[in-house]
Amino acid sequence: MTGRTAAADEWIRYRRTARHDGLVAALSLLYETLCDGAPPHGPGGHVVAPAGFVGADTGDVMATMTVEDGAIVASRSRTAPPSVSRTPWAAWALGTTCLRFGLSERLLDAVLAHLGGRTVGDARLLHQQMVKGGVAEAVIEQLEIETMLAGAAPGDLDDGVLSALNAQITRTDRMLLRLLGAVSFLADGPGQVARVSELIADVYFGPAPAGEHGGAA
Amino acid sequence: MIELDDRTLAFQRQTRAWAQELKPLALELDRDPDAIHRHLDVAIVSYLTRMTVPPEYNPDPVVIDGHRFYGTGTLERVVLAEEAAVGDAGLLLASPGPVMSGVLVDAMGDEQQKKWFYSRIMEKPTWTFFALTEPDRGSDAGAMSTTLTPDGDHHFVLRGAKRYVGNAARADLGIVFARTRPGPLGVTAVLIETSAAGFTAEPLETIGLRGLRLTAVTLDDVRVPADQVLGRHLRATQRGMWSAVQGLNRLRPGVAAFGLGIARAAYEYVLDNRRTLNTADRHRLDRLALRLTELRQLIWRSAIAVDDNEPAAGYLASAAKARASRLAEEATLEALSCFGPGARLDHPLLDKLARDARGVEFMEGTGNIQKLNLFTGLVQGGLRRD
Ligand SMILES: Cc1cc2nc3c(=O)[nH]c(=O)nc-3n(C[C@H](O)[C@H](O)[C@H](O)COP(=O)(O)OP(=O)(O)OC[C@H]3O[C@@H](n4cnc5c(N)ncnc54)[C@H](O)[C@@H]3O)c2cc1C
Repeated sequence: MTGRTAAADEWIRYRRTARHDGLVAALSLLYETLCDGAPPHGPGGHVVAPAGFVGADTGDVMATMTVEDGAIVASRSRTAPPSVSRTPWAAWALGTTCLRFGLSERLLDAVLAHLGGRTVGDARLLHQQMVKGGVAEAVIEQLEIETMLAGAAPGDLDDGVLSALNAQITRTDRMLLRLLGAVSFLADGPGQVARVSELIADVYFGPAPAGEHGGAA
Repeated sequence: MIELDDRTLAFQRQTRAWAQELKPLALELDRDPDAIHRHLDVAIVSYLTRMTVPPEYNPDPVVIDGHRFYGTGTLERVVLAEEAAVGDAGLLLASPGPVMSGVLVDAMGDEQQKKWFYSRIMEKPTWTFFALTEPDRGSDAGAMSTTLTPDGDHHFVLRGAKRYVGNAARADLGIVFARTRPGPLGVTAVLIETSAAGFTAEPLETIGLRGLRLTAVTLDDVRVPADQVLGRHLRATQRGMWSAVQGLNRLRPGVAAFGLGIARAAYEYVLDNRRTLNTADRHRLDRLALRLTELRQLIWRSAIAVDDNEPAAGYLASAAKARASRLAEEATLEALSCFGPGARLDHPLLDKLARDARGVEFMEGTGNIQKLNLFTGLVQGGLRRD
């Protein structure tokens, strides 16, 4: 990477759509622009897709989850070999990572809005020093991830790097969920989106180990 | 290191055996929290139904190896909480019984109120709740806005809203904190019956710990007889928030043990379901086992301190609780990572543990609040260091 990165290309659309419009909108965009044939399977044969998408629920449906802007289906196909999908893996892997990063940014926005409206005594909850420190920890993680993803084209970051970035996104989301309070534990809010985001990482990259960043915030 | 005495060891063996019954029910209860009504005869559930009822109100305690158990001791409660949460955390929380509210009735109730409360508990399996948190105030509970105002000679009226209250939609009785006047001494707790007009509890769908059935409670001019106001026989400084804090100090080691149980369940899931482990996984699991042991020791230490009325008890319990909620999250993620891509779908029980773990952070005070409490103990000398 040189000192300057190329201007944001189409990968940033997944991230921005995730941040501004939500999970289903971004995942639908990913499917519409990248899917060729069937949706790509993760290494274990699993698929996470917006409900109603062609080919999304061809295998055994294992879970259906409702989020703020629609529903998501997780399925596993034992019969159709992954080769039925001609979706380029490198593009898919980068796309899902950008999408998850956008969702993490959306979660940060939710934390700032929610805690900005709460109080401790006469002060804003968001302005408690421990809270500020916790938010800053999460932002450090996000800045690292953002810098790694900036200007990346499919194949630039290998699977090992993308797996690590996805694990880092999961850990960052966990920090933000703790900051959000019990509202993050409700099935109809930002906590549910984070749950599905973790599932996307789990299916396409494998579950994230707890790792060394887990201690902060 | 702390070692358990023979009495507590016998209890630990028994609760471990009881907990075996819970695992097969875990996913059923996760799908359908009302399934608890079908499982009231499960041994651990029937123990929890009366756990913490003191000897004078419980003529029929559980006897193990010749020892009687009322669940009034903190150490035995943490032993039970760990084992039951290894079985299923959701079922532990879904059980009827007086655990949270009983500690407050004990601390703030007069003889008449205790008698009334415990006789209701002994009558039949009775769910109870404890309502402190409000929609706009969680950690800053002292600033609550629910009000309790006199209404005629022998009644009060309760008005406001509470949120994230466990079990309130299935409870008969509960304790609600409310304000009688501005300021820190203006907070009071009342015993209420959920059949009272104006009381409603709406279930909230949650990501995990679904058995607990968190609710949003609305108190729309609920009339409360004056003899249900707790702490009237206590000094003004010992009513309300002070008593709540004392009660929560006593409960906290149990919440920590609950988190430890979730973490241990994840660890044991890997041992039971992954036949071959590579060296790196083995190493990670060994490290996790050590962290479980360390936390268990800290929890036992805090529980013993509570039972001995040591001033450091609440601070030790804060340390244990902060560590436990984090370890529950980390251990469940670590366990998932021992299985390949799609582990969350292929291992629903482990996925459930990872979802349950996320709730521990908020129960009985968040990590930040526990750390602030611990710091107070450190600088004010309550946390004595040898
Ligand atoms: C599973 C579960 C069971 C529960 N059971 C009950 C129950 O039975 N009865 C009941 O009354 N409540 C219950 N609660 C609610 C629980 O007590 C609250 O969620 C908790 O007190 C935190 O409040 P909050 O969620 O509003 O977060 P907030 O107080 O809004 O906190 C948001 C964030 O700010 C941080 N923060 C807050 N204040 C400070 C500060 N002063 N300094 C630094 N950081 C701060 C917190 O750590 C958190 O990260 C339950 C919650 C859950 C999830």
